[in-house]
Amino acid sequence: MEVVVPDLGDFSDVEVVEVLVGVGDTVAKEDSLIVLETDKASLEVPATHAGQVTELKVSVGDQVSSGDVILLLDAAETAEPAEPREAPAGDAIGDTAPPPESAAPRATERVDVLVPDLGDFSDVEVVEVLVKVGDAIQAEAPLIVLETDKASMEVPSTHAGTISAIDVAVGDRVSGGDRVLELEAAAAPERLKAPESAPGSRVSAEQKPAAGRSPQPRSQIARQTAPVDEHGFRQAHASPSVRKLARELGVDLGAVTGSGVKGRVTADDVKAFVKQIMLSDGRGMALPAVPEVDFASFGPIETRPLTRIQKISGPRLQASWLNLPHVTQHDVADITELEEARQELKERAAERNLRLTPLAFVVRVCVRALEEFPLFRSSLSPDGESLIVKNYFHIGFAADTPNGLVVPVIKDADQLDIFGIAQALGALSEKARSGRLSPKDIQGAVFTISSLGGIGGTFFTPIVNAPEVAILGVSRSQMQPVYEGGVFVPRLMLPLSLSYDHRVIDGALAVRFTTRLGQLLGRGRELTEGAR
Amino acid sequence: MSDAPGEELRTNLLVLGAGPGGYSAAFRAADLGLDVVLVERSPQLGGVCLNIGCIPSKALLHAARVIEEASEMAERGISFGKPDIDITRLRDWKNQVVGRLTNGLSTMAKQRKLRVVHGVGRFVSPHELAVEHDGGRSTVAFEQCVIAAGSEPVVLPGLPDDSRVLDSTDALELEALPESLLVIGGGIIGLEMATVYDALGVEVSVVELTKTLIPACDRDLIRPLQKRLEARYEAIMLGTRVTGVTTGDDGLIVRFEGEQAPAAPRRYDRVLVAVGRRANGDLIGADAAGVEVSERGLIRVDRQMRTNVPHIFAIGDIVGEPMLAHKASHEGKVAAEVAAGEKSYFDARVIPSVAYTDPEVAWVGVTEQQAKSENVAFVKGTFPWSASGRSLSLGRSDGFTKLLFDKDSRRLIGAGIVGINAGDLIAEVALAIEMGSDAADIGLTVHPHPTLSETVAFAAEAVEGTITDLYLPKPRSGG
Repeated sequence: MEVVVPDLGDFSDVEVVEVLVGVGDTVAKEDSLIVLETDKASLEVPATHAGQVTELKVSVGDQVSSGDVILLLDAAETAEPAEPREAPAGDAIGDTAPPPESAAPRATERVDVLVPDLGDFSDVEVVEVLVKVGDAIQAEAPLIVLETDKASMEVPSTHAGTISAIDVAVGDRVSGGDRVLELEAAAAPERLKAPESAPGSRVSAEQKPAAGRSPQPRSQIARQTAPVDEHGFRQAHASPSVRKLARELGVDLGAVTGSGVKGRVTADDVKAFVKQIMLSDGRGMALPAVPEVDFASFGPIETRPLTRIQKISGPRLQASWLNLPHVTQHDVADITELEEARQELKERAAERNLRLTPLAFVVRVCVRALEEFPLFRSSLSPDGESLIVKNYFHIGFAADTPNGLVVPVIKDADQLDIFGIAQALGALSEKARSGRLSPKDIQGAVFTISSLGGIGGTFFTPIVNAPEVAILGVSRSQMQPVYEGGVFVPRLMLPLSLSYDHRVIDGALAVRFTTRLGQLLGRGRELTEGAR
Repeated sequence: MSDAPGEELRTNLLVLGAGPGGYSAAFRAADLGLDVVLVERSPQLGGVCLNIGCIPSKALLHAARVIEEASEMAERGISFGKPDIDITRLRDWKNQVVGRLTNGLSTMAKQRKLRVVHGVGRFVSPHELAVEHDGGRSTVAFEQCVIAAGSEPVVLPGLPDDSRVLDSTDALELEALPESLLVIGGGIIGLEMATVYDALGVEVSVVELTKTLIPACDRDLIRPLQKRLEARYEAIMLGTRVTGVTTGDDGLIVRFEGEQAPAAPRRYDRVLVAVGRRANGDLIGADAAGVEVSERGLIRVDRQMRTNVPHIFAIGDIVGEPMLAHKASHEGKVAAEVAAGEKSYFDARVIPSVAYTDPEVAWVGVTEQQAKSENVAFVKGTFPWSASGRSLSLGRSDGFTKLLFDKDSRRLIGAGIVGINAGDLIAEVALAIEMGSDAADIGLTVHPHPTLSETVAFAAEAVEGTITDLYLPKPRSGG
């Protein structure tokens, strides 16, 4: 049986750049036989039938056109594999090669399943492996669980198939692009490849740079260096060679004290400066130590390891506490009307399976206030020279979970009505409790709300989630007598505690912000406007 | 495919332009292990500086100096007679000097295994440059690029298209020696060419729109130069503009307007236009690469010479003033090093400027007029060359050395020197500024006697109050 070159569309006299099979090889239907390369793309020609190759009619370098015979096959009678496999639903993108005769089951092919792009995260710990070699899995089936920063995420399979090898174990650290496992997947043909990636590419073989480096852009070769106070750098008493060394080490020369004659900064001064920073762990100064106590000498003790979340959040809280001059502004807001509105809407919410909590209203109020007070959604630039005001309204909320404190983020909360917020709160809280937040779910907040209202308390001093500049703490509302028109009337009062970074926000502005929050909360009914 | 592409090259780093900045970038990058393609529109490497700028002009200026010194010696007892000038041989010698340097560059390019493509390059995408040349068109695909496409002389609008209207390139060609020459533009380039033609016996006039020659440097530095020029040239017309040039059979008729304009139009054999240079940013298809170009053809860069497109760098004249070869070559190295992944910055504190006139004028760092306008508190030390044994024994008493120090730190912040070889003397001062030297450092450095370099030490001593080669009252602070 002859296997011929399929319809090549506009192309003819296309070069054979690779022959993938030899005489005597047994091929399955859909197995790639040869690789053709036009100046636009390379494409693999698949077998139209299964069988044994008896004669090759082409070799590398030949020019072929549609209909030319590639090879002769001794076709297998019922050449289909004994164990027919499911074909995956989705074919590869860009499959513009002529479709082979339809309705034939596809052969298998080995597929690597990789760790997807993890954004800012790398070296993430594998905490669970959900599959084992030999398992038959569907595309999208969870394979492993990674635990990043404050959340864990599942890595799903990109293909359906049978697992032939697993490369990771619990405790391993992986990054985007690492191989998780290998699948015997139902073949998903990928015919058109960019010339650069084609093996034996002819396009540039003779013109490639000597080192064989790919001429495609390395997007940004020189790494961004730490921001430096350029003015101070220019003023520093340091010779050109010392300046060059400082640039290489990213040292802010203006901050280095020179030990040379007349305060000249020497190369040794620059090195000593770096050493000092490294020894102090980047914090600039050592903290006085808390005394160690042998607790066991006073009675029985037990040692419990910190949870992963505690290990991560602890240093961050400490960093924020030490770096930011915190001030906390307390206030109470009258939410009597808001509570009435909430009760009225509760039923409608329940119809769509939503819990309409007071927190949803607080989120909505904070978005309004943040629209009016841009400083509260700003951050100091790393060099401390400017403020970066964020013109989006992603709101973080602290959630208590069995493993510790996490802060999921409601994206674009300004685009959501009260039900939308309630829904986002519900979904994210559920994910947080089950430890299934993805990195995306915990990034990008401009302002954070910490609500302890469900538990109790009156006021507290939350720690700003740096580099944000403010956090709103919400405690439990209480019926309180409020003096109004000559009499005390019972009103439902909500305690608010706003902690802020005093470098960015001054006290007057903070009071204006909490006052505004109070006003908005007091007009609770307005907050449900536009809810449908 | 339908339109057959020409040769296609691929490279790590493309350098567009082989002037002092471009070849420095290309050579440095090659030495750092990058694969480099250098694109140059002219057949020779070296750019304006080597071929039609600094080097040929300095060869001719040397000839001019020899003529001047020979003639000055007549008064001192040695007479050579009137020089017999063979303009063809002079031109050939100048071309030899240029050829030797450009051939040297080609050899060094080969030693570094650079690929050089001759032709006019234009970007067609952020990663491709098309090069048009006699043989057709080729394409260079690059990962990163350094734009070093330089500048061109500004053309004055309204001047006749006549071979007797010259730019600096034409003037350096030295086709023939006219009897009279008008130089439009009293900046460095115009005055250097005036110096050459004057020495070769041409009657030179200079017209300058502003009220001063070489406006960038301090007035006091210009005075000795201007005094000498006024004595020698037909006319120096400051604050004066050219309002029209008409062609006649026996010359160019030029009309003037302004403070020192002659009442009637004047006739000149040649007119040299030297009114500045314009960056070539508009000529390279920068749009296609996404590189922003300002209305004056300039490309903005950061301290690592990066343009708004992170993988494309720009250096030299095309990134702005000062348009000087020595600035370009340093910038070129920074760009090459950053492209190779090093953390290099252009951190030079000062860039010296030199006018190779007679006498030479050189300055570096803060000028006195700048210090005054920016309220920088400074102390000034000056040493007149009329008190320098070396200068007098060279037959010259014009010139002085001036140093400016920060009043508080006493560190050197700027200097100006006028006199023969001022351009060579300024290098010591530039080093002293970069090293953060103060007046004592310079004054206490033993300078060889008798040299012109002593004047630098004496100027520092003048500030320190330790000078014995002059009697000065207590130094006064300026500003």
